[in-house]
Amino acid sequence: MKSSPNKGVLLQYWLSGALGGWGGTSDGKHKASTNAGGSVHGNSRPGAAGGGGGKVGLSGGLTQPAGWQSLLSFSILFLACLAGFSSRLFAVIRFESIIHEFDPWFNYRSTHHLTTNGFYEFLNWFDERAWYPLGRIVGGTVYPGLMVTAGLIHYVLNLLHITVHIRDVCVFLAPVFSGLTAISTFLLTRELWNQGAGLLAACFIAIVPGYISRSVAGSFDNEGIAIFALQFTYYLWVKSVKTGSVFWTIGCCLSYFYMVSAWGGYVFIINLIPLHVFVLLLMQRYSRRVYIAYSTFYIVGLVLSMQIPFVGFQPIRTSEHMAAAGVFALLQAYAFLQYLKDRLTRQEFQTLFFLGVSLAAGMVFLTVIYLTYTGLYVRLLTCYAKIHIPIIASVSEHQPTTWVSFFFDLHILVCTFPAGLWFCIKNINDERVFVALYAISAVYFAGVMVRLMLTLTPVVCMLSAVAFSSVFEHYMGDDTKREKPPEKAEEGLGPNIKSIVTMLMLMLLMMFAVHCTWVTSNAYSSPSVVLASYNHDGTRNILDDFREAYYWLRQNTDEHARVMSWWDYGYQIAGMANRTTLVDNNTWNNSHIALVGKAMSSNESAAYQIMRSLDVDYVLIIFGGVIGYSGDDINKFLWMVRIAEGEHPKDIRESDYFTPQGEFRVDKAGSPTLLNCLMYKMSYYRFGEMQVRRGALTPPGFDRTRNAEIGNKDIKFKHLEEAFTSEHWLVRIYKVKKLDNREPLDHKLRSVVPKQKYTSKKVPLMLGGEFALQVWRDSFRFS
Amino acid sequence: MTRQSPLLATCLLLVAALNLEVSANGLVNEEVKRTVDLSTHLAKITAEIVLSNQGHSAVQSFILAVEEDLTPHLAYIGASVKGDEEEDGTLELQQTTIPGQSGHFYKVQLPSSLAAGAQLKAKVEMTFSHVLRPFPTHVTQAERQLVVFQGNHYLYSPYPTRSQTTRVRLASKTVESYTKLGNPSKNDEIIEYGPFRDVAPFSEDTMKIHYENNTPFLTISSITRTIEVSHWGNIAVEETIDLRHTGAVLKGPFSRYDYQRQSDSGISSVKSFKTILPASAQDVYYRDEIGNISTSHLQVLDDSVEVEVRPRFPLFGGWKTHYIIGYNLPSYEYLYTLGDQYALKMRLVDHVYDDQVIDFLTVKIILPEGARNIHVDTPYKIDRMPNQLHYTYLDTFGRPVLVATKNNLVEHHIQDVVVHYNFNKILMLQEPLLVVGAFYILFFTVIIYVRLDFAITKDPAAEVRMKVASITEQVLTLVNKRLGLYRHMDEVVNRYKQSRDTGALNSGRKTLEADHRALTNEISSLQARLKAEGSDLADKVGEVQKLDGQVKELVCRSCQEAERLVAGKVKKEAYIESEKTLTGKRQELVSRIDSLLDAL
Repeated sequence: MKSSPNKGVLLQYWLSGALGGWGGTSDGKHKASTNAGGSVHGNSRPGAAGGGGGKVGLSGGLTQPAGWQSLLSFSILFLACLAGFSSRLFAVIRFESIIHEFDPWFNYRSTHHLTTNGFYEFLNWFDERAWYPLGRIVGGTVYPGLMVTAGLIHYVLNLLHITVHIRDVCVFLAPVFSGLTAISTFLLTRELWNQGAGLLAACFIAIVPGYISRSVAGSFDNEGIAIFALQFTYYLWVKSVKTGSVFWTIGCCLSYFYMVSAWGGYVFIINLIPLHVFVLLLMQRYSRRVYIAYSTFYIVGLVLSMQIPFVGFQPIRTSEHMAAAGVFALLQAYAFLQYLKDRLTRQEFQTLFFLGVSLAAGMVFLTVIYLTYTGLYVRLLTCYAKIHIPIIASVSEHQPTTWVSFFFDLHILVCTFPAGLWFCIKNINDERVFVALYAISAVYFAGVMVRLMLTLTPVVCMLSAVAFSSVFEHYMGDDTKREKPPEKAEEGLGPNIKSIVTMLMLMLLMMFAVHCTWVTSNAYSSPSVVLASYNHDGTRNILDDFREAYYWLRQNTDEHARVMSWWDYGYQIAGMANRTTLVDNNTWNNSHIALVGKAMSSNESAAYQIMRSLDVDYVLIIFGGVIGYSGDDINKFLWMVRIAEGEHPKDIRESDYFTPQGEFRVDKAGSPTLLNCLMYKMSYYRFGEMQVRRGALTPPGFDRTRNAEIGNKDIKFKHLEEAFTSEHWLVRIYKVKKLDNREPLDHKLRSVVPKQKYTSKKVPLMLGGEFALQVWRDSFRFS
Repeated sequence: MTRQSPLLATCLLLVAALNLEVSANGLVNEEVKRTVDLSTHLAKITAEIVLSNQGHSAVQSFILAVEEDLTPHLAYIGASVKGDEEEDGTLELQQTTIPGQSGHFYKVQLPSSLAAGAQLKAKVEMTFSHVLRPFPTHVTQAERQLVVFQGNHYLYSPYPTRSQTTRVRLASKTVESYTKLGNPSKNDEIIEYGPFRDVAPFSEDTMKIHYENNTPFLTISSITRTIEVSHWGNIAVEETIDLRHTGAVLKGPFSRYDYQRQSDSGISSVKSFKTILPASAQDVYYRDEIGNISTSHLQVLDDSVEVEVRPRFPLFGGWKTHYIIGYNLPSYEYLYTLGDQYALKMRLVDHVYDDQVIDFLTVKIILPEGARNIHVDTPYKIDRMPNQLHYTYLDTFGRPVLVATKNNLVEHHIQDVVVHYNFNKILMLQEPLLVVGAFYILFFTVIIYVRLDFAITKDPAAEVRMKVASITEQVLTLVNKRLGLYRHMDEVVNRYKQSRDTGALNSGRKTLEADHRALTNEISSLQARLKAEGSDLADKVGEVQKLDGQVKELVCRSCQEAERLVAGKVKKEAYIESEKTLTGKRQELVSRIDSLLDAL
């Protein structure tokens, strides 16, 4: 039995070793976990219970506990990476290797620009195809880390003559980095607790939906690589606080630099680390290690972060970075006092201390006055007003998080992580102070904004892993060994209770894995560029209307044609149709967006004025009434009105678009302003003649999204004409006609066209099956 | 006919004055049957000519002529001799000129000379692209597409023609107008001209037909066909196609509603077409810059693979699209080998859709790395570009790429090209060896890195720790071995109890003693070393040693007990009793040793 461990024994190794933890923590409290490593050896060693033959057959490396241990950790970590990578491939397998959603299209486009034109061209890139007529300086307004990473990988692969298309690099970048995140989370948790917890944390972060939501294959966005950088920076920070070595701190700075180049969320790091140092000072945990680590980090990190063009001088100017500077000064002062304390007598020291304190108070006072003069204070206060600007409020990922989404994204971890936090606080040390602060601040931010759920996810995984690891350690140690000294029988826990608890925990973990897979597959793996619907017999229809329309634009319009659309589609039009857009997802210019919103919500002639002044050639809208797609422009329309009203309160009033009862209706009862505005007319042009579903008792012109028969069926355009409508009417493109020079004659000619006969109906627009559209994703962006 | 006479006269004059060669031949077109097929977007003109030699000597060749206006559009010209039984004999054509005459001329080499007075039936095929001009040039979605064809009523020939008829096949019954030379008869889609008698050489008379033609006017404005040969059994083919609807341009709005509801709305637009791929084509993909085109269908038939290519959007007049279609083929069907010599026989251009027109073709054939002495046999003239190099997976010095281009191709150009080259089979090993080498270097570096110490400073504590760890490891193995000795001794004792062989027992005891002493000494020396390193583990090892001494004693005791039992000095029950206590004690000791070892 011992010489050839069967599966059961192996499982026991795995459970007791991997989950119970065997890492050598420096912490005395965890001698038990160190012993667990021995228990693995005890099992594999012959003769412990006086039976069986020798075990000479196994190779030398594996007879040693260290060999087993590293092999097991390596394979578990490897499997976690693999699981993290492959569970993100649902969309690629179901659909294809394609860039998802909105922002990734911009990132892809700029990466493409980088790979074709080189790095300097990319940094100096002035994109004249965005924000017409303003343009956009791309190099100075992006975090280039993502593009440079993808470009670098592509470059290296091509150098090795591995001819991978840049699109595939971009698509698979996020899953690859998720694998790396698993490794960095493992490292960080190992520093905080032990190796077993680290492995568990790696497994959690690999599959937790809260992270998968931002890193599926094709979701080529900053967050995909930023979480890796975040975790790795924290690991190096913890390492440098632990060792007090400049080597680790410089590593931390480089990692921080990478993070700054990758995501605006670096502000989280530059506030959390000073907070950590500050709290350590408060807790009387100041040491030379902390001093070395933070002083080096602040100086080098500051200089490095200022190398990113988009960040520039922000780290010494803006309020977000002031905490770091303050803590730096405080730490220097503290260290100086410590130094003086050794040199001076008590009396001298006290006088000096009071002098210093009063000086510092005066400095602070002067600074405040200075800041007030320069208006920084005002800005600091008004940044809260940002929340009330409609364009920010309109993005659904800026909404406060609901409890449901906490559970949806984290499942059981959200319940277990307070336990992990408690374990950490109970056995506090320098680095556990850090993780506790990390947890608390991340919870706060996640509660403010759905989007910041992402920063909470890693710490939840780590702390839950600590909780699970401690429980397993407690209940799943080597039974035979523990029981032998009867005085150590833990609080009278029998093997039954132990196995029940273990089974329960395993059940939880299993349910967690199932939930993660389900959520990933159903909620987070839709490219949203391609829609799919399922018929009753399970066959799949692909609705490729977006690409159909974008590709039509790309192929059959003038190369410099300007396309007006709501800002959501700006990046996609630029990426897929390669045409000039007026506004896009960058949303840096509110008044420009408001102008587009005003054009959409005005009547045709007023809109024509605006469109003429903006040189618009085509107008693109999304219309879901035929197939029941809820993320269309009519549903977003109120936001357009609101944003337009914000800038043009005289021309646009939100109340005009409601019925006297205060309802937003598209049917006959709807307000006449709505029924005659450009967006309404473009959406429902010729829709009034259309019988959406044959056989059912719906009148022609029945909007399936809003379940209403439209109110204005007689729509005629004077200045626009339909240029293209996709197969399921999802995307409609209108051409803005040039000014007529013979107005009355033009009308006569147009009426000459003989009336169409409706005798032969060729393609019944029966869209088979219910369209179980995945509106989940769309609800993320209803603006 | 009267209208024709001045021209005829000039022609005759010219012939007489300038072209002695032609007239000297004495060839006469006895009877000509022309068919002008205008039912697609191509003009296919076939002429069946009965040629008679009325000269005095036999002729080896005759001359075909193409009108000046049509020459830029000529995509294909071919001639064949119609024998009595066998329908065969494609003839070789050679471009030539006739001074003073406009147009292109082709000299057709006859398989056997035509004796004086003899007759010959020849069939001439010509295909012209882009000769049907849409008129009006812009139509709305509801309108139908009308086109104009301008050609020649007569066969353009350097020889006089005795009698000829021209039959024009149209795409539809609706004809706006057509020239009425010789009072033609029109029957549904067919207009028949002639017969015309005694037509002079080089006579031209404009035939103009304006009719409805709603067949898809698809044109491949450019196609790049890449054939990548791998000696590992695969040929990858990829075609990048730019497609344009060259019919009447869509005017005004495109209404999806009308397009979906009315069958005659956008009648000349292209929804989809079929591309026929070779039967062994696998892994077919159809995509463009923004991804897979999900509207296509694939059908595998017995002798081919049919792809229903449906562009993302219907193609109306003037609209264009761009896509990539690619597939893999097994190389054994196309690659022939003899020793180091290889021959690749592939279609230079393949089927994209029926009656295809290709304006510009680029063919790239990527041969394996190391292919030498490349020689290409093309079925027709094609412009070779300088060879390029292509790098892909695991390439070091690049694969040779043959590049060739050609303008204006039609279905007749779907013919095989043969590429001969030499390839040393040893080179096949290069790629696997490269991979092996790379991995070797990788592992070797890791080994070097792990085994060697690259630290600049020495960390004595860590060194000591490692030393202690290795010593502990040795101690563990030794202790285990020692415990094994006791088990072995137990077996010896058991055997002794059965066999009562005192000699065996004694010798067993002696080996135990010896081995035990050796092991114990070794452990004590290790213990001493541990102590020297300053590790507190030395005490633990000492404790283990002490406990082991007790175990040893117990083993000896049980041995003695057994001896006494065998000698009959103790009763069996008493022996079992004492044995039990001994084993119990031993178990306890061993477990204590275990726990000590675990703590090491």
